[in-house]
Amino acid sequence: MITTVTLNPAIDREFFVERDNINFNQYIYHEQNIKVTPGGRGLLSAINLKKLGYADVQNIGFVGGKQGLFFEKMVQEYGVTTNYIYTENEMRNNIFIIGKNPVTYTHYNDYTYRVEPNDIEVLLKRFKRGIVDSDLIMIAGSVPEGINFDIYQKLIKICHQEGKEVYLHASGESLNRALKEKPKVVAPYFRHINKILDIRTVRFEDYYRVGCKLQEEGAVHAIVPYHNKQLIFDKRKVYLLSPKNFRLRNWLGASEAYHAAFFDYVFRNGFDFVEANKYAGAAALSVAERKEIFLEGRAQIEESLARITIEEVEVDIDEFSEKVYDENA
Amino acid sequence: MSLVKKYMMRTLNSVCANETVDQVIRIMYKIEASVLPIVDEDNRFLGTIYSENLLKNILPEQYGVIEMHKLLYEVNHAAQNLQEIKKRKIKEYMSPTTTAVQETDSMDNVAEIMLENEESRLYVVNHEEKLRGYISRADLLCYLLEMEEAEK
Repeated sequence: MITTVTLNPAIDREFFVERDNINFNQYIYHEQNIKVTPGGRGLLSAINLKKLGYADVQNIGFVGGKQGLFFEKMVQEYGVTTNYIYTENEMRNNIFIIGKNPVTYTHYNDYTYRVEPNDIEVLLKRFKRGIVDSDLIMIAGSVPEGINFDIYQKLIKICHQEGKEVYLHASGESLNRALKEKPKVVAPYFRHINKILDIRTVRFEDYYRVGCKLQEEGAVHAIVPYHNKQLIFDKRKVYLLSPKNFRLRNWLGASEAYHAAFFDYVFRNGFDFVEANKYAGAAALSVAERKEIFLEGRAQIEESLARITIEEVEVDIDEFSEKVYDENA
Repeated sequence: MSLVKKYMMRTLNSVCANETVDQVIRIMYKIEASVLPIVDEDNRFLGTIYSENLLKNILPEQYGVIEMHKLLYEVNHAAQNLQEIKKRKIKEYMSPTTTAVQETDSMDNVAEIMLENEESRLYVVNHEEKLRGYISRADLLCYLLEMEEAEK
């Protein structure tokens, strides 16, 4: 079994309109112009894993109120096993308004969801018994209000007590604290704040320092996004993973495809950090070049594999910042 | 042949045998379910808790035969009784495992078991008896409907 954790899922509601006119009533008459899907980083990776053919993929987390029942039904459609703690409060709804002419993209991100201390106790118990059969565990995404920042630290501790390793995809203070438990792989996301571990990410060396600091703080391996590339921090060496000859169409889903494919590689071939990242990069590239946000199968990844390059990065930060790895490259 | 895995709800919503009656009631309320599976620390299926089992234990008369003129009295009495038992372990009220099915079982098998036992839900377990989800009466009816339509 593969387990993914999503503590702060959302119902994503996308509305496609001809023109996003503010202060006007607009009417949507066609079903294809409204898309309602379950959202959450860990969950989307779980769906990708199902698409890659894994029979037993579980998503653990909170869902809230009556919308939680609706959310769970939507997740079931993908064949993902749900293990949800229901809360009194209603869960989040993210609204996306996508205008066609002119092309606009308005996103209302709902951060109102709150869970209570009792819900957290139930989660910890459920998580412990939920992972007994898990071979791989991914903890991903933000945490709802009401939860202490040490929640990921606690979950990783439980995993380690059960002899299981963790892949962490997180941000902010919950990530900082989780590092104390030394997760095996850490892939931070911070595009929304451009800052992580108190390092402002502007130049190449900032990103490089982020990776080094993640490892200093406890991450065994780290994957740091660097524009459309990835800096890969293995135990002793650092690599830069780059796509070539690509035509970006849709970033949405690329990150989740990356993480799912990483698991897919590790599950089938064992833990080869560099090769797993290369394969994951090909998966992200294949999604970024298509409209669909989920992977359709391994053939799609294999097709893109040749366009992923990995080169070792020497630890001369100044040289890289000024010459080779210009931010706009 | 239609298999259980096509119709089942893949959910691990469950409680442990040592959880208390009030905790279980709250979970039932939130997920709108009057029946929950009980598992051990390794997610192994142990049995089922029905809301009916709890009601039987708090209503002063047998469930279903409350007389209307005594209703208010009975309800107050039931609430008092519930206060007394709410911190007890749910295992005291559970129905031990009877029948569970596996994902690869046929839906015909499910139909037989459900109709014979009058179960509202049949839990689905793997080869180690660990919980994987459930099949409801609605799932069974859906299967029967599809079977009938396919025959036509």
